[in-house]
Amino acid sequence: MNKLLVKVLVLMVSISLFAAACQPQVTQPPKEVQVIVTQIVEVAPPVVDYGDIVWLSTQLRPVQEAEKVRGVILDKFPGNVEFIPEDEGPFHDRITAEVQANQGTVDVLGALHGNFSTMGPKDQLQDLTALRSSLADRGIPDAFWDVAQLNTDKTYYVPWMQATYILAINKKALEYLPAGADVNALTYDDLMAWAKNIKDTTGDAKFGFPAGESGLLHRFFQGFLVPSFSGGVVTTFASDDAAQGWQWLKDFWPYVNPQSTTYNFMQEQLLNEEVWIAWDHTARLKDAFEALPDDFLAVPVPAGPKGRAFMPVIAGLAIPVTSTNQAGAEALIAYLTEPQIQVTTLREVGFFPIVAVDYPGYVSPGIKLEGEAVTLQAGAPDALPALLPQGLADKGGDFNKVFRDTFTSIVLNGEDINTVLDEQKVILQSIMDATGAPCWSPDPDSVGKACQVK
Amino acid sequence: MKSRASFPRVLGRILTYVLAILIALWILAPIYLIGVSAFGEKLSAYTYPRPFWPAPFTIETMSFFLKSGGVIKSVQSSVIVAMITLVLSTLIGAPAGYTIARFIFSGRDAFRLIVVSTRSFPIVILSIPLAVTFIEWGMYDSVYSLALMHTALALPFTILITSSVFASIPRDLEEAAQTLGCSQLEAFLRISLPLALPGLAAATLFTFVLSWNEVFAAVILTVRNRTLPALVLTVLSESQLPYRFAGGFFMMVPSLIFMLFIRRYLLNLWGRVTK
Repeated sequence: MNKLLVKVLVLMVSISLFAAACQPQVTQPPKEVQVIVTQIVEVAPPVVDYGDIVWLSTQLRPVQEAEKVRGVILDKFPGNVEFIPEDEGPFHDRITAEVQANQGTVDVLGALHGNFSTMGPKDQLQDLTALRSSLADRGIPDAFWDVAQLNTDKTYYVPWMQATYILAINKKALEYLPAGADVNALTYDDLMAWAKNIKDTTGDAKFGFPAGESGLLHRFFQGFLVPSFSGGVVTTFASDDAAQGWQWLKDFWPYVNPQSTTYNFMQEQLLNEEVWIAWDHTARLKDAFEALPDDFLAVPVPAGPKGRAFMPVIAGLAIPVTSTNQAGAEALIAYLTEPQIQVTTLREVGFFPIVAVDYPGYVSPGIKLEGEAVTLQAGAPDALPALLPQGLADKGGDFNKVFRDTFTSIVLNGEDINTVLDEQKVILQSIMDATGAPCWSPDPDSVGKACQVK
Repeated sequence: MKSRASFPRVLGRILTYVLAILIALWILAPIYLIGVSAFGEKLSAYTYPRPFWPAPFTIETMSFFLKSGGVIKSVQSSVIVAMITLVLSTLIGAPAGYTIARFIFSGRDAFRLIVVSTRSFPIVILSIPLAVTFIEWGMYDSVYSLALMHTALALPFTILITSSVFASIPRDLEEAAQTLGCSQLEAFLRISLPLALPGLAAATLFTFVLSWNEVFAAVILTVRNRTLPALVLTVLSESQLPYRFAGGFFMMVPSLIFMLFIRRYLLNLWGRVTK
């Protein structure tokens, strides 16, 4: 066995020596060899963890929306965000208490412009001017930033998402639509004829307003009815044009479901068919569109003599002065305003992006319905955006009350329109004087002075 | 003759039963309807008239509700808070109630009045100072400090109920026990306390339900460690109907179970000892 191994080895060595000896001795010119180095360098992003962040929000409170925030929207954020939905009352009380005690648990606040406008003047919010410049690439419209300054040179919140109000229509109502009316470009007269037609034919008042305690009917007066008829909100409050608007509502009321004074979220009455046509906030109609997208239409609000007035609603993100996780708070705000997350927010909870985004291919049929109506409404040739009240600080509730009281007196109690408007005008003016709030769109600019009721 | 005499009795019996059934329905029907909607299909919550059977039966809404952020944890918090409140308010309230019932001391009536008057402060106006104090004392956002708050809220009830319970137990019984060789403490422990148990049970029931359903203090004093009502109550009112039913059903069940558990002590309502 060993002998065999030795023989094989000797053979192999001699063959290789022979082969080497037989090699032709040619000197080859040096070749240029192109070396392509493919080296995969793992550039792992530095592992960032922003730690625990408490995010208190008056928005996205319903269970299903809060779950979307926790499960989907915050999914990719590098940190442990605790999303806590809260009513407006405790929301303000808590921040007031934490600022007073100078010790906080809350890091980020999500709320409406109206909430922040009462907190800014009380020094409860940080100045986010630096964060604003770092978010310059987001494409948030300057108009929104201006509003977030609350008439100061500071920036109190970062615009986060927007919504508006539209009409939701059960398709059963379409057969009663007056001839010649375009459902996507209704006028207040069309709406009157339509609702009357339904009442006369079916015997039921099938139009619904959210006139209940937590309904948002006051926004209908401030952002839709009064500006559509008068072209303004505060300046034209007591004008003849505004009186015409209130007259319209008074005449329209018999065709409105009398239970409206108990309605808060019109999606419920739409789903149980108490009403067929309803005006409400997109987030408060969403469930109807989501549940039965084939049964409902979303259409723009009606137009009056001065245009198709509508109110965009802006929610923002702020950092309280007592925040204990500054880096985390800023990172969370930056994250939530990323275009991709804005699209996710739209898809999951139905609030519309505040930044310039490409609308995604896939959104649920219900959201798509709403989104199309919102786009149609904002892009209508006669569109007249009427902003949320600004600069009213903690008088926002009083401002709403003026409109609610006007409605109650004129429409529910049947009092004389001009008398009521003249009475309420005085209260309205005192609110404007007390706060010094300048006019906002669509009222003409009052150049920094308190807005005047004419 | 016999049947004629028993006829009014039978009629009386029937009427009693009818009345009892009506009263039971008055309470049970809404509970049942909430249950049906909580376990029915989502859209069936909007149908009217309400179906009388959850068809098709599904736990989808219920499980979504239970799995949603923090519900399970908040149930634990609620139970902890309720139990601590129950124990503390009984430990403090029952002796106070016994004292008011058994001993005559100057200022007794004033004490009684003061105890009740603590309830007349609307907690709403106290919210911010309360929160500030809790933050400054480092007691903010904790189930234990919330239990203290609930104890303070429950004490007036506990004291009043237990005092009327002890007042209704004849003093003679204790004295008799003392003549037979019991000390005052033994007389209390062996005679009064067992007789007072049903009333004390009623007091604890009130305490439990009060703590279980209390929202305002729970909302303002906690952020991350919320009790169930603080977590869901305001939120539920804005949620879709199916979730409201699921949440309502879920909030109701523990109270019902607790009542069933404590029911036998309640047969003699507070103060009326029939044994």
